[in-house]
Amino acid sequence: MSERILMKNVTKKYGDFYANNEITFSLQDAEIHAIIGENGAGKTTLMRILYGLEEQTSGSLYVNGKPVRFSSPTEAIKRGIGMVHQHFMLFPHLTVAENIVIGHEPSSAGLFNRKKAVSQVKELAASYKMTIDPTKKVKHCSVGEQQRIEILKVLYQGAETIILDEPTAVLTPHEVKGLMDTLKLLATSGKSIIIITHKLKEVMACANRITVLRNGEVTGSRHVDETSEDELATLMVGRDLKEVPPRAAQNGATHLEVKNVVVGEKGEKPTLHHVSLQVKQGEIVGIAGVSGNGQSELIQAITGLIPIESGDVTMDGESVNELTVYERRQKGISHIPEDRYQWGIAKSASVAENALMGYQYIDAYQSVRGVINRRRFRPLVTKWIEQFAIKTNSLQQQIDQLSGGNIQKLVVARELGHESSFLIAAEPTRGVDIGAMERIHEALIERRNEGASILLVSSELSEIRTLSDRIVVMFEGKIVGELSRDEATEEKISILMAGGTVHA
Amino acid sequence: MRNEQIQTILQLTIAITIGAVVGAIAMIVSGAPVITTYIQMWNGAFGNFYLFSSTLANATPILLIALGVGIAFRAGVFNLGGEGQMVLAAVTASLVAIYLPGPGFVKVLAAITTGFLVGGGLSMLAGWMESRFQIQLIISTLLLNYIVVLFASYLVSFPFQDRTGSAALSQTAMLDPAARLPKLFTGMTVHWGFVIALLLAVVLYVMLKHTSFGYDIMMSGKNASFAFYGGVSKTKMMLHSMLISGGLAGLAGVFEVLGSQYRFVDGSLTDPGYAWSGIMAALLAKSHPLAIVFASLFLGALHTGSLGLERNTDVPLEIANVIKATLILFITAKFSITWWQRRKKAGVSTSGTV
Repeated sequence: MSERILMKNVTKKYGDFYANNEITFSLQDAEIHAIIGENGAGKTTLMRILYGLEEQTSGSLYVNGKPVRFSSPTEAIKRGIGMVHQHFMLFPHLTVAENIVIGHEPSSAGLFNRKKAVSQVKELAASYKMTIDPTKKVKHCSVGEQQRIEILKVLYQGAETIILDEPTAVLTPHEVKGLMDTLKLLATSGKSIIIITHKLKEVMACANRITVLRNGEVTGSRHVDETSEDELATLMVGRDLKEVPPRAAQNGATHLEVKNVVVGEKGEKPTLHHVSLQVKQGEIVGIAGVSGNGQSELIQAITGLIPIESGDVTMDGESVNELTVYERRQKGISHIPEDRYQWGIAKSASVAENALMGYQYIDAYQSVRGVINRRRFRPLVTKWIEQFAIKTNSLQQQIDQLSGGNIQKLVVARELGHESSFLIAAEPTRGVDIGAMERIHEALIERRNEGASILLVSSELSEIRTLSDRIVVMFEGKIVGELSRDEATEEKISILMAGGTVHA
Repeated sequence: MRNEQIQTILQLTIAITIGAVVGAIAMIVSGAPVITTYIQMWNGAFGNFYLFSSTLANATPILLIALGVGIAFRAGVFNLGGEGQMVLAAVTASLVAIYLPGPGFVKVLAAITTGFLVGGGLSMLAGWMESRFQIQLIISTLLLNYIVVLFASYLVSFPFQDRTGSAALSQTAMLDPAARLPKLFTGMTVHWGFVIALLLAVVLYVMLKHTSFGYDIMMSGKNASFAFYGGVSKTKMMLHSMLISGGLAGLAGVFEVLGSQYRFVDGSLTDPGYAWSGIMAALLAKSHPLAIVFASLFLGALHTGSLGLERNTDVPLEIANVIKATLILFITAKFSITWWQRRKKAGVSTSGTV
């Protein structure tokens, strides 16, 4: 095996801040190399440098032994480096094949040869045992399929080295396994793969080597057979992991109830089909399910973001159906949204402005009615920043300059800060690191122990099982099963998630 | 934040420079001496106190319309109906000021209030059509202009035409001197409308920055889903910002009637293109209320400057329009520091490594 990529003493400075500090990283032929670390550890920055999206402040890059310097992804692609981003960049209205060949379309007589594109894609997919229908429209593809399209696109462009940024964050357990198999197959056929992640189990399952980053520096580089999950976690966090706090016994009354709710466009198949569920005070109800099976609609129906066709949502027995989003928030609903970029923040606003949402009408933060007193609000935000260790230069910093995990922490802190009686936590730890995940889980259990009702929606089974008192499984817009904390095993939940039945 | 400001200023400087250069080319083509022409333009706008006051008077309607357009942009909605709102407000305000019985200040106050409500109401009508029938604001506000401007024209050509003079022009009767907005300085064109417009710019600035209503507007503009999620009502926010936006455009018309023309004259508000200059000023200033003041003064000066040019030289008035058009072209093209940097870097590295 020879060295395909070498990054030597790479440093990236933003002002006085070192995003990467003297990092040395190498990638062999046909190797899967995982880069792990908490949010803001510098993983993404390092890969952006390798892919030509950023330029290093100092240090050098070698591809196949030759020194290079990329100022755009085009140059990186020319050298056989491709990247699959966390957020897919696909055209939903074009077909799979069209999305894959884009930019390098096969042509005959100067015209786009669609047939050839389809056959080329078919061949390419078959050679890596990836199942995909080249003529399907991307908007009809599942998240897993979309990821395969992204990988095929990179392969089609002739990449020998593939960078994957948090590829498993959006996948179901089953899809994760498929991805791992694909990656291993790619490696055996000579491709080199860099995978950025913070999920240790997956790393142990597929990587040959692992490099751990913390605060922009390499804290360790290991072969997979000479390390353990525990060691990696310690290298990442810099200390041993904490236990989830104990759950005080609770025996509260029903606080939020969803009765027979139907949601859907008239004439189409409903996205929520007679869904009923209750959340008691001091209870965390976890909703498990492959994303897209009605969880989003359920959350939106409860919070008032979409109207419901029939049924009722009540809090303490009173219907909230006719109330606006604002009035429901007043009543004590707060909401960590599943998609933080769509619902949770305004990218071009500052950290302080994003933190203020939901608090702008509260008297305590106003000088006179209608006039916001930022000086009174600031200590609250500062407290959140400390409590969740949110990395930001100042409250005035534009929020999209923060890493995804830090944004998530701010959104979580903001919604927990309401100390509301009912909280929806949808994918509360999506994209955050272990340290932050611990803090968020701790805070959720704390709220539960204080008597709040929590509806947890998560695609991470381990998260559902760690936190929930009761687990409800959704499939195709219906609730297909309910399991108590003790009877819920990963197998039982998985079967229900896939539409099967479990005999308890 | 700071980076963004530098970027905005850089962008403006580039656009204005290129605008000036293209203007110079146009001058050369039409055979005019560049330096002298620019000096003449400057003198036309700022040459003496009278001309300076004309620049301020000219900037007044531009400023009000720009503030309205700006607030709509901030809320994430479009109001391209400034012209119609201004004209309809002007004609109703002049009728109120002429026919409402009572002392002068009552007429003035009533005219201003009516004008604001008429302008705001017209733009809210477009807002309502969007929320009710999904008719896009950008289209409805634009098309309502034609209907309303022609309607106003009809009003002053037939039912309310001034028939006292010998020539039957399309205009209303003169306003009673007591029902006029006073001039700031005797013998000068600038009137109290300018001061009110300046105050309104400050009020809007404070509102956007410090009130919860302003916060809701800003967040709706930055991410409507986020605002909705946070409890801000989409429809309410749209209707309110349209009311303010149209109301400000209405005031532009009212002040022209009460402070400058003393009657509604058909075409007197549309011919100078105030509404379009207002949109330009809002774009130039990126909808920042205080920056809009300067952008409006700049465009007002460009207008009076070109009038001076026409008086004193053979250079056509259209030179100013060439400069304006170029400006707007380069303002909307996203020049940014990053763009320059990327270009520079690309140049260096291609010669270095490939």
